[in-house]
Amino acid sequence: MFLIRNSRTVCNRIFTKNFNFTYAEKNIHRWVAPTLRELKRRKDQLGPEKPSPRSSFLEWNYEAELFAFGKRLGENFKRDILKQALLHSSYVHLQKQENNLEDLKDNSELIAEGSNIINQYLKDEFLKLYPRDIAESFLKYLTSDNMMAHVAKHLGLADLLLTEELPVKELTLANTLRAVVAALRLSEDLERSHLFVRDFLLTQLNGKTIFDIWEPENPIEYLNDLLKVKGLAGFEARLCNQSASNTILANYQVGLYSNKTLLGIGWGENVETAKNTAALDAISRIYNLN
Amino acid sequence: MSNTSLIFKPSFIRNPSQNGLGRYVCQLQRLVLKFCKNNGSSRGMREFIEEDLIDFAKSNSGIVVYLKPRRHRTAVITAEYLNGDKQWINCRNFTKVEILKWLNLLKTQQGDTTGTRFLKLQHTEIPSIQGPWTPYTFRPPSLNLTNFPEESISKLSEKTSATKELLELYEQQKMKSKGTNL
Repeated sequence: MFLIRNSRTVCNRIFTKNFNFTYAEKNIHRWVAPTLRELKRRKDQLGPEKPSPRSSFLEWNYEAELFAFGKRLGENFKRDILKQALLHSSYVHLQKQENNLEDLKDNSELIAEGSNIINQYLKDEFLKLYPRDIAESFLKYLTSDNMMAHVAKHLGLADLLLTEELPVKELTLANTLRAVVAALRLSEDLERSHLFVRDFLLTQLNGKTIFDIWEPENPIEYLNDLLKVKGLAGFEARLCNQSASNTILANYQVGLYSNKTLLGIGWGENVETAKNTAALDAISRIYNLN
Repeated sequence: MSNTSLIFKPSFIRNPSQNGLGRYVCQLQRLVLKFCKNNGSSRGMREFIEEDLIDFAKSNSGIVVYLKPRRHRTAVITAEYLNGDKQWINCRNFTKVEILKWLNLLKTQQGDTTGTRFLKLQHTEIPSIQGPWTPYTFRPPSLNLTNFPEESISKLSEKTSATKELLELYEQQKMKSKGTNL
């Protein structure tokens, strides 16, 4: 009897072993899910994580980053001048509060100098091609904080600059770019900094038309003044084409003529807007903007 | 387009911040190569670091390369781009050559493009220089001086129909074949 009973348990053992072998056991322990759930709950309780600057990461070597920054743009910066260009007054202020020993020089002088270089160069370039008012609006467009910050971000300056604020403000980014231009002048020469502005800032005008950036308030009046200045006869507007009048798809084409020569031609849903667009066309033809 | 590609985000090829118009800037700014010093799955990564990394870093001096040894964990590449994208690639059991090919891809693209499907392989911001067609484009200038209604314009066209032309051709062929037979 004993033997039989014993054999049965042995059989059972073999059976369970085989059972385990054919149907694999679940590998994830019962405690894992509740633990993860608890961790998630605690994490949610703490709220969203604060943004941390890239420089606070373990894998960060500031000297290597500065070297790569110069190489990326194909420029040879002097290391100490570049470092000064990336150092904002808020950071210096913070350092001085913590320990008075360090004598750091911030980039406020470089910002002013860089701003001058950029403004002067762009103004000269625009005045070669365009009249004063158009040149000024281009200059305003390119040197706006928004545009400068965009360029600075795409040169990789957002991670490199040293400032107290987080996330970095647009104005700070734009100022850093200005300071970097000044740093380039000090590291190499003025011509090199001009090339830098040309390659990175002036190219932002690509794909834009003149009237995206500049538009006279009253094109007809502007054209009248322009013709007087140029010494040309006044213009007369003629309706060249019209279709679908008295419908919502009404369409008029107006041409502006001066001494039987076409100055400009434009479209509109009524004669007034067509006249204005024709005046804009005439302005762009007279200035040779296209 | 297959059903599987519908889950990818459609996009056009992009050029961040007019890159290459003035001068070309490599958009990959940082690489972190994570690997284990003794696990077999990082073997290819270790070989790459020993043999090819110095050459890679020398020829791409605008990219900062960090090495991060971690015990008993899979080899990983983390790439950071100038536009703020961060791309993570699992390199478990990758060979040296595979890693080099991946790095080559990372340094030639403008951002993280995983999970996107290109709608076209070319793109332009100005699809037409001439502008769209309007009812007035290519209008004969003689119409400027006509007084409507004009009789000559409103007349029915006297062109022969296509059927009639075909029949005429057929007749001509018949005549020709008769001529040759004689």
